[in-house]
Amino acid sequence: MTKQTPNAMPQQPTVEATTPSTGRAKLATADLITIGVFTALYFVMVCVATLASTLFTGGFGSIFLPAIAALISGCVWMLMVARTGKFGGITVMGVVIGLFLFVSGHFMLSFVASIVFPVIADLIARIGHYKNKALLLVSYVVFSYGLTGPILPLWFMKDAYVASLEARGKDAAYIDGVFANINTGTFFLSMGAILVCAVIGGWFGQRMMRKHFIKAGIA
Amino acid sequence: MNSVCGRIRNLDPRTKLVLLILANLMLFFHVAVSTQAVMVVLFLLPLVAAGRWRMALKFAVVYAVLTALGFLDPEFLGMPWLHVVSALAVGANMMLPCFITGAYAFSTTSPSAFICAMRRIHMPEAVVIPCVVVIRFFPTVAQDYRQIRAAMALRGIASGGWGMLRHPAQSLEYILIPLLMNATNVAQDLSVAALTKGLGRAGAHTSRTRIHMTPIDWLTIVVCTVPLALDIAGVI
Amino acid sequence: MNNDDPTIRSQHVEFTYDGAVEPAVHDTSLAVEPGECVVLCGASGCGKTTYTRIINALVPSFFHGAFSGRQYTCGLDTAGISIDQLTPLVGSVFQNPKTQYFNANTTDELAFPAENMGYTPEEINRRIGEVCERFGIAHLMDRSIFRLSGGQKQRIAMAAAVVLSPKLVVLDEPTSNLDAAAIADMRQMIEELKAQGMTVVIAEHRLAWLNGVADRYVVFDGGRIVQDYAAEEFLSLGAGCIAAMGLRALDLEPYRAKIRLLDQPVESSDAVVRTRGLRIGYRGREAFARPVPDMAFHAGQIVGVMGGNGCGKSTLVRTLTGLIEPLAGAVELHGKPAKPHDLTRAGFMVMQDVNYQLFSDGVRDELLIGLDDTNPQIVDQANKVLASLDLAPFAERHPMSLSGGQKQRVAIASALMSGKEFIVLDEPTSGLDRFHMEQVGRLLRQLADQGKAIAVVTHDEELAAGWCDRIINLERSL
Repeated sequence: MTKQTPNAMPQQPTVEATTPSTGRAKLATADLITIGVFTALYFVMVCVATLASTLFTGGFGSIFLPAIAALISGCVWMLMVARTGKFGGITVMGVVIGLFLFVSGHFMLSFVASIVFPVIADLIARIGHYKNKALLLVSYVVFSYGLTGPILPLWFMKDAYVASLEARGKDAAYIDGVFANINTGTFFLSMGAILVCAVIGGWFGQRMMRKHFIKAGIA
Repeated sequence: MNSVCGRIRNLDPRTKLVLLILANLMLFFHVAVSTQAVMVVLFLLPLVAAGRWRMALKFAVVYAVLTALGFLDPEFLGMPWLHVVSALAVGANMMLPCFITGAYAFSTTSPSAFICAMRRIHMPEAVVIPCVVVIRFFPTVAQDYRQIRAAMALRGIASGGWGMLRHPAQSLEYILIPLLMNATNVAQDLSVAALTKGLGRAGAHTSRTRIHMTPIDWLTIVVCTVPLALDIAGVI
Repeated sequence: MNNDDPTIRSQHVEFTYDGAVEPAVHDTSLAVEPGECVVLCGASGCGKTTYTRIINALVPSFFHGAFSGRQYTCGLDTAGISIDQLTPLVGSVFQNPKTQYFNANTTDELAFPAENMGYTPEEINRRIGEVCERFGIAHLMDRSIFRLSGGQKQRIAMAAAVVLSPKLVVLDEPTSNLDAAAIADMRQMIEELKAQGMTVVIAEHRLAWLNGVADRYVVFDGGRIVQDYAAEEFLSLGAGCIAAMGLRALDLEPYRAKIRLLDQPVESSDAVVRTRGLRIGYRGREAFARPVPDMAFHAGQIVGVMGGNGCGKSTLVRTLTGLIEPLAGAVELHGKPAKPHDLTRAGFMVMQDVNYQLFSDGVRDELLIGLDDTNPQIVDQANKVLASLDLAPFAERHPMSLSGGQKQRVAIASALMSGKEFIVLDEPTSGLDRFHMEQVGRLLRQLADQGKAIAVVTHDEELAAGWCDRIINLERSL
């Protein structure tokens, strides 16, 4: 990068869309637009994850949706944070995703999850001024739990589910049989998968940042 | 989508929001099968009114099939494996009202009405602006993806579905990097265009799209709330 | 502001982007009177785009760097105001039609500036109606912008820029991606603005379309204004003088005449790629189909594929490179009918947006994708290809950190490396100045001399007339 190059076309200098990041500044309109673009990409990743998750695990497949999304969205998230680098960016991304999930008919709790986890993720990343690699990775892992909203009813709506089954004349033994499949074991399996996948996805994202975006002078 | 006649037969976005919340409340308070059936019918009516009768019909059929499956008695039929299907059907059926109201909100609301409604309910600009951008940028991602796949085919990189599955991380990199580079450029161009058009301006932003609650909106809300309220109160 | 005050008054403005060494604009002073139509011209990197950003206050409020001097736009000192204060006074149109609209719907896009100003719905709709009538774009209203052509998108961008009836309209290379018909529409719109008494500033490479509209030509070089001509003075300059300044032609008629001469079918054998009874198009929702006359692409020849937007140029070259299947008929490779798969293997396309086809983190690595990079012979060959395209000094750089022209050459290098024999370039000169356009032309010739069959899809009359051996006009042969 430091090489003097006989460049035929003058290099368009890399333009920082925002003021140099201190982690303190307020989000400007340009930051909000950047967040919007990357949120759209994140949303695409969620759609891909939904598709993959349904293909691989069938009916109850969506329990691995957040994990798969976490695995493939690391680059998108890391670049978004590098491009904004201000408090609020991660939160806004989460809120907008939650809003679209809610409006498209997902369970209301998903909205809560996609606010709470991103806010925590934002606070964690802020400690490291949005630069500290380890904290960013932790932040990404926490953020990834924001997508658990759509699948939470599988466990937390158990009472309602049991009631529905009873209303349809199913006996207790039958209901216990059903919950052999949907027990706390699968809950921890799903949550554990998110942790592992988010670490791998975040690490992959940081690797891509170094390999491409920092080298190309974009982040 | 948001033509004049659409405005007449379409509910206010805020009403759609209420319907969504009602559908979610049905999940919290496990409602009786009869209440659920009534609510599903009520939720399907606005879809029909908006001219989406094909979609309404599909939902109606799915609901009927799932309900029937939920009432199956596998022991009686001598097919124990049906238990799983039946339980799944009951679960899916519980989610269906959310999906119906969601599909209605999503397919009948123009972006401008959605934005206008968000501003009316005093959503902060920090949420409104990214939402506009998502609506604007999301559809172009598919085009970008097709371009990148064509470019990969020309280079003989991971062409065909199998090629992608053989080196998943590599394929992800080859697809994501051009996508993200392009996204960065688009973000800058959009910012420049939006700033010169006054998006960052302090003060109220208005909308050319007029949304207002009509008597029909209020009627819809009341009619849809009553069965749920009665059910929760234990009357049904 | 007084009516006699200049709309634009720059006093010794100078700007250096953050991270850049040299200022993009040096000590520049200029005054533009109300109602004037001024063209800013000069080679790429001469500072004209940066100067437009200084005028509409994107510098220094969005593009950060060191700014000095005083800039008054419509009477306001741009250093002391927020960019929003200029919204009702200055309309801006940018280069890329695909990335400057903010809404998915055309009417929403026109409403957007007025909504941001907080106007009432009645007022917003009145203004939209007015602009539609003035520009004759009522038929484009209430449509998805994604489905408009580049020219239609640019008309919407123009209309959105003037919906607030600004005093000044600033355009930054608005025609770089447009065909001749769309450029004629742009000219009409500019004439309309002038008739309204608006001040118009256009930074442009392509100059011919502005004859008779522009009142003044300001020539930039190396970040400074080097000449300031009245229109009559500028238009009377000889073609050689214009070329010497690195500017595009003022009169395209000689080029068009040459193109008509080149538009001749040839009869010969041993073509690399040839079509027989081909019918191209898409099925499904965006169905489109048309027959194309039989055509042939020979080794060592550059064939220009021309014709207005929507006549199927891109569909044709996508079919020729096997990216889509023909609806009927056949494409032959060296005289034998070829499957799309074979065509994709033998052919290559440099896309208009070359960013989509660079995947690696280094220029040399880009050439070695899918090849054995431990084999010294292959690495040696890659280095030779890089040297032949003047890319050797950039071998270790990230492709995305290069200029547009360099990226194009990297894509071509990757095609040469994998032994492609049929190379298609889609609009390789959009947005390029004369020097870089000629550089592309020389590159095409170099590739042809290496025995490649070259097809170039272009609207650029100067490129087509100067460098193509043959022209296929798809519009004429419809």
